Amino acid sequence: MGNIGVILMLVLIGGGLLWLFIRALRGREVDRRVVFAFILVSVALPLLLTITFEMKPTPVVEALYDRIDSLPSGSRILISFDFDPPMAPEVQPMADVITRHVLAKGHKAIFMTLWATGQSQFNVTLQDVIRADFPEKVEGVDWVNLGYKAGNEGVLNVIRTDFKKMFPTDVNTIPWDSIPILRGIRSCSDFELVISVGGGKPGVKEWVLFVGDPTGVPTAGGVAAVVAPMLYPYYPRQMCGILGGIKAAAEYEDHFRKNYPVFSDMKTPALVMMGPQTVAHVVILAFIVIGNVLFFVARRKEVRR
Amino acid sequence: MKHKLKLILVLLLFIWGTAAAQSDTAPGDAAIAAPSIPPPAPVTNLQATDTDNDHGHAITLTWEKSTDDGAGANAVVAYDVWRWYPLEMDVVDSLRQDLAATRDAVRAFRIDLPRAERALEELQEDAAKLNTTRFRVAVPDVPGFTLTVDYALSKLADTIAYMRDNRPILMSRIKPEQQELAQALERLTQAHAAFPQNGEWRTIGKALAGATSFTNTGSKDQTSSDFFPDYSDLYYRVEAVTIDPAVRSEAVQVGPVQSKGQWFHTGKIPVVLFVVMFLVFTVTFVQLAKKGTDLYVRPLSGIEAVDDAIGRATEMGRPILYLLGIGVATEVNTIASFSILGRVAKRVAEFQTPIIVPCYDPIVMAVAQEVVKSSFLDAGRSDDYRQESVFFVTNYQFAYVAAVNGIMLRERPATNIYMGKFMAESLLLAETGTLAGSIQIAGTDEIAQIPFFIVSCDYTLIGEELYAASAYLGREPVLLGSLKAQDWAKAVIMVCALMGMVATALGWPAFAHFFQVTG
Amino acid sequence: MSRASIVVLVLVCVAFAASWVVRAGANEGDAAVRDAFLVTLAAFLTLAIFSFMYRDNPYYKFAEHLFVGVSAAYWMCMGFWSTIVGNLVPRISESLSDFFQVPYSGGGLDFGLFYFSYRYFYLIPIILGILLLMRLVPKAGWISRWPLAFIVGTFAGLNLVRYLQSDFIIQISASFVPLFVDWHGFGHFFSGLSLAANGQFVAMLSNLVVFLGVICGLIYFFFSKEHVGWFGGASRLGIWILMITFGASFGYTVMGRISLLVGRLTFLFGDWLGIIG
Repeated sequence: MGNIGVILMLVLIGGGLLWLFIRALRGREVDRRVVFAFILVSVALPLLLTITFEMKPTPVVEALYDRIDSLPSGSRILISFDFDPPMAPEVQPMADVITRHVLAKGHKAIFMTLWATGQSQFNVTLQDVIRADFPEKVEGVDWVNLGYKAGNEGVLNVIRTDFKKMFPTDVNTIPWDSIPILRGIRSCSDFELVISVGGGKPGVKEWVLFVGDPTGVPTAGGVAAVVAPMLYPYYPRQMCGILGGIKAAAEYEDHFRKNYPVFSDMKTPALVMMGPQTVAHVVILAFIVIGNVLFFVARRKEVRR
Repeated sequence: MKHKLKLILVLLLFIWGTAAAQSDTAPGDAAIAAPSIPPPAPVTNLQATDTDNDHGHAITLTWEKSTDDGAGANAVVAYDVWRWYPLEMDVVDSLRQDLAATRDAVRAFRIDLPRAERALEELQEDAAKLNTTRFRVAVPDVPGFTLTVDYALSKLADTIAYMRDNRPILMSRIKPEQQELAQALERLTQAHAAFPQNGEWRTIGKALAGATSFTNTGSKDQTSSDFFPDYSDLYYRVEAVTIDPAVRSEAVQVGPVQSKGQWFHTGKIPVVLFVVMFLVFTVTFVQLAKKGTDLYVRPLSGIEAVDDAIGRATEMGRPILYLLGIGVATEVNTIASFSILGRVAKRVAEFQTPIIVPCYDPIVMAVAQEVVKSSFLDAGRSDDYRQESVFFVTNYQFAYVAAVNGIMLRERPATNIYMGKFMAESLLLAETGTLAGSIQIAGTDEIAQIPFFIVSCDYTLIGEELYAASAYLGREPVLLGSLKAQDWAKAVIMVCALMGMVATALGWPAFAHFFQVTG
Repeated sequence: MSRASIVVLVLVCVAFAASWVVRAGANEGDAAVRDAFLVTLAAFLTLAIFSFMYRDNPYYKFAEHLFVGVSAAYWMCMGFWSTIVGNLVPRISESLSDFFQVPYSGGGLDFGLFYFSYRYFYLIPIILGILLLMRLVPKAGWISRWPLAFIVGTFAGLNLVRYLQSDFIIQISASFVPLFVDWHGFGHFFSGLSLAANGQFVAMLSNLVVFLGVICGLIYFFFSKEHVGWFGGASRLGIWILMITFGASFGYTVMGRISLLVGRLTFLFGDWLGIIG
C-alpha cells in the first residue's frame, strides 16, 4: 500500500511538472498559485504516506553527538531553550533528542532560557521526553529548570562569572543552595558542555561570544536552518558541534536510536519531516531547472528574432 | 582468663579502629595494613601560582605527572588535591550559617505573620457567622488531620503573638552577627599564616590521570559557603592515587601562595592592539575628511538607483515605503539605515512625496522620527513633516510582516526600500512588494537573507555595502573616515592572512600563537 | 456584503462549529471542549493566513489583525513580568517582592556607620526608563535622547571586545591554513591521490578555497580602490565565491521554510483532522 502511494505521488508530481514545463514552453503564463499548489502537494503527500529516508550523520552533527557521548557520566551540561513557537517545528526535535541523549547517558542537565517563550517550549520537552522516558530522574538531582531571565547578553555577561546572581532560585522558587545538582557550580566555567538550542537573537552566536570564547567551556548549538550558515565559521575552533536545521535533527535522531536500541521506538518527528522535505526540495530543484531552461530558450528566441 | 584476654583484645581493636576512623590526618599518616600493590611515584615539580587574568580567588596548581601515570600494576588513576584549612574557616562558616538562618527566619516571619493574621480573622468570621465553635477545621498540608475551632483559634493567636514578640529580637540579632562574621573574616589572614597550627588538611578535588594541572576556585562573596580569601597564605598537597584509594603516593606539598586579582588581562593583548590600530586609523581618516581631503569611495549601483526610485515615486504620485528592519537601535545595521533614511527623507521632503516608515522596535521608532524630522527641517519643509508617517507596529516578527504586507497592498507604494536587519520576513516582504508592483532596493548584512533580496529586489547592497552606502550618500567626515579606516583594517587582515599562511606552511607557530586570545 | 460573501461566512461558521463538536467528542478529559475550541481556532487561523496565497481577503485580514493585537498585548505583559517584576522588583523593594512572590535579592555596602543598600543603584535605570517614556510628551521628547545615548553607548562598549575577539581575531587566525598539507613531495602526493573527505588532496583543496575566499571576498568589499585590472579580477572571484555561499545559504533557508510548512501541515493533519498519528 505504501509503495502504491509512493508511485502515485511520483506520477502525480512528475506528471504535473511535465505539464507545467510544456505549458511554459508554449509561452502560456503559469499562475504563482500553481507553484503554491505543487509545494502543498509535495509536502502533504509524503506526510500522509509517511515516507521516511535513512540518514547518515554529517561530521558536524556527529561531533556534537560524540562530545555528549564521550563525557564521563554525571557531567553537568547546560541546555538553553532559546526559541519560540514559530521555530519549534525545526528546533523542538533537536531539543528533545539532545535532552534524551544527555539523560540517557546519565549526565546532569541544567535547563534555562533567554527567551520568554522558551519556558513553554521546555515544558513540551518536559512532558514528551523527561516525564515520559525518564520518570526515574529526580528534579533537582538529575535535572533542574532554572527558568527564564530577561536581559539577553546582559544575562550571559553575568552568568559567565556568577550564575547564582542571575538565577538565585529555580523556576519553582527553590533557592539555589537547596538544589543538589547545582552544588559546586559557580559560573559557566563549571559546566562540561553548554548547548544552546534556538535560532534568533539572543542565540547560539551570543553564547559563543559571551560565554564560550571568554571561558573556554565547550559550546555547541542546535539552530534553525536559516541561521546555520552563519555559525559554520565558528566550527570547530569555537564550537564543538552544530545541528543546522531539520536535516541535522533527523541525522541526530537516527544516529541516536541506532546507538541506543532501548529508544529504537521513540518518536522521531525530524525523520518524519525529512520525507516531505526531500520531495519538496526535488520539486524546487525541478522548478529551478525548468526556469533556467525556459530562460535560455526564451533568450535564443529573442536572438533569432 | 582466656576469655578476659579475648575481651581485652577485642576492646583494644575496637578502640584502635574507632580512633583510626575519626582521624583527621591524611590517610598516609595512619598505620594501615600493608597494601597489595606498591605505592606509585609522587608527582614532581609541583607549583602553585595565582591564577592569571582573573578577579582573584583562584589558585592554579601544576605538576609533572607521576612516572606511574597510566602504566603498570600501580597505575595512577587520579590525583587527589588537598588544601590546608585553618579551623577559623569553620568558625566563619558557622557564623555565616547563623546569620543566614536569622535572616531567613526574619524573612519567613514577615511573610507568615500577615498570613496567620488573615487566617485568624477569617476563622473568627466563620465562627461568628455559624454562631458556633462546635466544628472542626482541616490543617493545611496534613491530610485527614483536623482541629477544633477553639483549639485552632488559640493556637493561631499564640503563633501570632510569638512571631510579633520574636521578630524584633531576631532583627536585632542581625547586626551583631554581621559584625561577628566580619571580625572572624579579618582573623582569617592571620589564621592562614599560622600554618601548620590550628588547622587541618582537607581534600578539595581530583584531577584525572594524565592531568598536569588543577585550579582551585572559590567565591568572592564573604557570605558564601565556598568563600575563597585573597591575600592569605595557602598551602596545597597533591597525591597520586591508584585504583585502590588506600594506595597512594607520598604527598607533595607546596606553599605559601596567595591569590589576588589582576588589573590587566594579558590574554587580551591582541584585542588591545587591534583596538588601538582601529582607533589610529579612524581618528586619522576622520581628521583628513574634516580637512576636506578627497577620500575616494567606489560607486555603488544600489545607491545610485535610490534617487531614480524616489523620482519614480513622485511621478506616480505614490508613497515610498522605508523599512528599517527588525534590529534594535544599538545594532550597526540599523544605525547605517538611519543614515540612509535621513538621505531618503531629505529627498522625499524636497520632492514632496509621502513616506511611510513602519517600525518594529519602539526605540528605533523614536530615533527614526528624529531623523525624518531633522531631514525635513534641513530641506526647509518642516511643515510637511507628519509624525504619524513614522509609527510603531509591533515587535513580534511575523505580526510585523503581516501588518507591513497589508500596508503594501493597500497603499501600493512605488518604491520599497529595505535597509537594516531582516530575518525570515525578508522574502515575505519582497514578494509582496513585487505583487504590489513596487521597485525594490534592499540592503542588509544578514547573510541568510541576502540571497532572497538578490533574487527578488531590483538592487541589493550586500553586507558592508550597506555601511558604505551611508558614507557614500552623506559624505559626512565621520562616516567617510570610518569607512576608510575599515578599508585599511581589511588590508591589514589580508596581509596577516598571507603572513599566517606562509608562517603555517613553514612551521613557524609563533605568528599564529600571537592571535590566541584567552578569557 | 455580497451574497457570495455571506454564504462563505455561513459555511465557515458551520465548519468551525462542526469541527469543534467533532474534536470535543474525540478528546477525553475535563478540558475536552476547551482544547477542541483551541485546536479548531488554531486550524482556522492557519487556513485564514494560507488563504492569502489565493488572494487578500477578510479572513486573512482578520487573522492578521488578531495576530498583531494579541502579540502586542502578549509582549507587553511579558515585558512587565519578566523585566519589571523579574529583574527590577527583586532588587529594589522587599515588600513588592513579597507581593509579586519573587525572591528579594537585597544586599548592600556596609560602611560601619551606615549601610548603603544596592537598591538605590537601581533608581538610576528607573529614572532613565521614565525619561525614555518622555518620548510620548511632545514638549519633553528631547529628554529621551539621553537614555537612548546611554543605551547605545553601553551596548557598543559591552559588545566591542566580544565581537573583536570572537568575530575578528579568532577568525583571522582560523584563516592561517597551510596550502600544502602533509607534503612529502610530488611523488608521494600523486601516488596517494584520492577524493576521500579526509584525504590530502581534499584537505589542500579546501584550504585553498578558504584562503582564496577570505582574500578575494575582502577585496570585493574594499571601497577605497576602483576594481580594475588584477584587483578587479580578484573582486570578481570574490563575488563569485560570495554568490556560491549565498546559494548554499539560500538552500538552507528554503529547508527552513519548508520545515515550517511541514510543521503546520503536521498540526492540521494530526492535531486537527487526526489523519496522521
